[in-house]
Amino acid sequence: MLNLLDTSFDHCIKCTVCTTRCPVAEANPDYPGPKQAGPDGERLRIKNPQLYDEALKYCSNCKRCEIACPSGVQVGTVIQLAKAKHGGFNKSPRDFILSHTDLFGALSSSAAPLVNMATGLKPVKKLLDKVLGIDERQTLPKYAQQTFRSWFRKEAAGQAQFERKIAFFHGCFTNYNDPTVGKHLLAILNAMNIGVTLLKKERCCGIPLMANGFFDRARKNAQLNLSQFTDALNDDSSIECIIASESSCAMTLRDEYPEVLQVDNHALKERILFASAFIARELANGNAPKMKPVNLRVAYHSPCHLIKQGGIIHTMALLNSIPGLEVIMLDQKCCGLSGTYGFKKENYQTSQRVGQAIFDQLATMTVDYAVTDCESCKMQIEMNTSHKVLHPLTLMAQSLA
Amino acid sequence: MKYDVMVIGGGLAGLTCAIRCAEAGLKSVVISAGESALAFASGAIDVLGFDQDSRPVEKPFAHIDQLPAEHPYRKLGTEALHQSLDFFRAQMAAAGLHMHSHKQLNHGRLTALGAIRPTWLSQKGTHALPLAAPAEGIRRVAVVNLAGFRDFQPTLLAAGLSRQPGFADVTFTLADIKAETLNINTRNPCELRAPELARTLRRDLFSQPNGLHILSSALQKAAHNADLLVIPSVLSEENDNDIITQLARLTGLNICEVATLPPSLPGMRIAAALKQRFRQAGGLFLEGDQVIDGQFEQDRLLSITTQLNPDMPLLASHFVLATGSFFSQGLASDHYHLSEPALGLTVSSTDNREQWSGERFLDGGQHRFSRAGVITDPGLNPYRHGEKIHNLYCAGAVLDGFNPVQEASAGGVAIGTGWFVAERIINAMARAPERHLQGQEVC
Repeated sequence: MLNLLDTSFDHCIKCTVCTTRCPVAEANPDYPGPKQAGPDGERLRIKNPQLYDEALKYCSNCKRCEIACPSGVQVGTVIQLAKAKHGGFNKSPRDFILSHTDLFGALSSSAAPLVNMATGLKPVKKLLDKVLGIDERQTLPKYAQQTFRSWFRKEAAGQAQFERKIAFFHGCFTNYNDPTVGKHLLAILNAMNIGVTLLKKERCCGIPLMANGFFDRARKNAQLNLSQFTDALNDDSSIECIIASESSCAMTLRDEYPEVLQVDNHALKERILFASAFIARELANGNAPKMKPVNLRVAYHSPCHLIKQGGIIHTMALLNSIPGLEVIMLDQKCCGLSGTYGFKKENYQTSQRVGQAIFDQLATMTVDYAVTDCESCKMQIEMNTSHKVLHPLTLMAQSLA
Repeated sequence: MKYDVMVIGGGLAGLTCAIRCAEAGLKSVVISAGESALAFASGAIDVLGFDQDSRPVEKPFAHIDQLPAEHPYRKLGTEALHQSLDFFRAQMAAAGLHMHSHKQLNHGRLTALGAIRPTWLSQKGTHALPLAAPAEGIRRVAVVNLAGFRDFQPTLLAAGLSRQPGFADVTFTLADIKAETLNINTRNPCELRAPELARTLRRDLFSQPNGLHILSSALQKAAHNADLLVIPSVLSEENDNDIITQLARLTGLNICEVATLPPSLPGMRIAAALKQRFRQAGGLFLEGDQVIDGQFEQDRLLSITTQLNPDMPLLASHFVLATGSFFSQGLASDHYHLSEPALGLTVSSTDNREQWSGERFLDGGQHRFSRAGVITDPGLNPYRHGEKIHNLYCAGAVLDGFNPVQEASAGGVAIGTGWFVAERIINAMARAPERHLQGQEVC
């Protein structure tokens, strides 16, 4: 049977570079590190499933092992798939709540003020901590009263007037928690003579579902999203591509669908783009909006999942196009939150230790804002430093003349 | 956005070049396909350890003139080589990593197998042995391991060292300081690598007020009154490696740290220091991506495409290829040809496969493939389909004309050619200011 198995993990030459670069292994000695959890463990698991190591639950899916691997082994994916296959997720009610971001987004945003007030109360936080295991020291994301989709309704007609268009995959956070970045993307693209449409339907990209073991749900979402992409591109020839403004959504749509969920997207992949990649390409082709100086000094934090998809160079191109803006690049280290990971009581300490280097570096800096493309990194930095965090699109929108 | 310089490869050659360019004010980016070979290296910098007949070299710089004309050292010359190494040392020192040499002379570096290799620059903690008489003043050697660390075997080291000139009559004491003695919790000794042991020691031992004293008295006890105490390099990930200085003071012993199997802490320190310096100089480091193609127009490289950005050409005025040799996949082979896979540059090779390697597998000096690489002109510009590419330069192990294994010259060639290429680019940018300006405006 062995020849039917995916043995690409055997490209591993046992150099252990991944483990030296794993932020979780550095912070938590109980985690054996990606080499042992991934390619080494896979050999054992193929022989005997009982050799599955429970410690794989500590992996935060940051993908730094894959970035560091000199042999091109998809170490993080090997670990994720092993967890899926060997029951490595506990799928508790807490994990269900944290991972089903669109379901709970839809439920919460209709009663946003009440939910926001409740999740900010100490006794409620204590209760969530004790009953569910959501760490009380974390601040749960607030919900917006009006979803991005409902705000967009009155914009739709105007957007349809543009000759060139893109379809915007807004993701759960922009829709339910904070529509700001979506509004800013709209303003920027409009200033570049490009209109924005939404997909008829959109589900969570699936990354929190995968991180919590709900692979069937994630696969269903992937299939629905991809069929929506296909329909949008087929039905309206003025729609050039699908754009995501959240770096982890973009990585999931492009890379995780085929690699982790085995949902084939190759016919569409080159037309699914992270926002700054699309904008960088437009800028390179001479389609720059009119811009005014933004005289700010900012520190840029590169999200792990943007590094993984090769997107840092595009965000830097976008930021460098803003006149007057001074950008300082932080060390390219993990912030430690990793989506739902750091909200879990058992991971809180690891999450803090991983992010400490970034918190310390920011503490010594005099900057107007921190900047990052990822909503999860933004939460972590705002919870642990005195800096307010902006999305690169927000800065670019500020510079529109 | 168009960069002034795009360096392909984030190892010793690529980052030395990129730091020099960024410090000169050029907009610089490095694209690196995963961690470089530095994590596998000793952390010492060899300039030239052996001559072409494999005899140890005492004065590496005096020997450059005797190398064959196609050797990279002959292309840059002794003066540039000196300047590049001074530059590198200053960069390391600025990152807190102090490296020492013995004027113009090579010294002996002890390996984990007990060999003595000629090298030029060493990190703090390594004990330099005089090449001419390495055993001078040494009658008793203690080889001490920590916590049963698997990647360091005192027996092997002692067996190897006792065969070195002058060491036949030296007494060896072998010991292992147990994890319990050090109060450290090691999860699984079979899986413990040097960086993990360093982290465990920091967390469980050195965080204690008397941690250093526990280790120093254990070392004293194990070493008795040895003239030389050899330990694996596992004490600190930090660049300054201050722990070894304190231990030497506390024990009064002559301590020699030895780089272990990969990942090696001294090599990782150099990699970390280079990345730190590049970032501080304003450079952009992109990791985890691989260059798959280049877009050429006659004698110029206009842009490159990568695995992660196959549809988005990345533009620069100058490009540097520093992708390493076969191990780092900067060079590749199939059944019939040796090739340079990223940009398809012309490689020196014979198509007769039988001539690629020698008969003795472990004799690196014998293998012709170790000498193969990208052919360049005296300015380190490569060729493609017979055309010289004027804005593309090569540096480090990807180059043809030298055998890093046989010569022990990999570090010096990487630093020398990386720096030399940077100087050429800086000069070219200064000569063409209008092009420079244009480059800035394209963004």
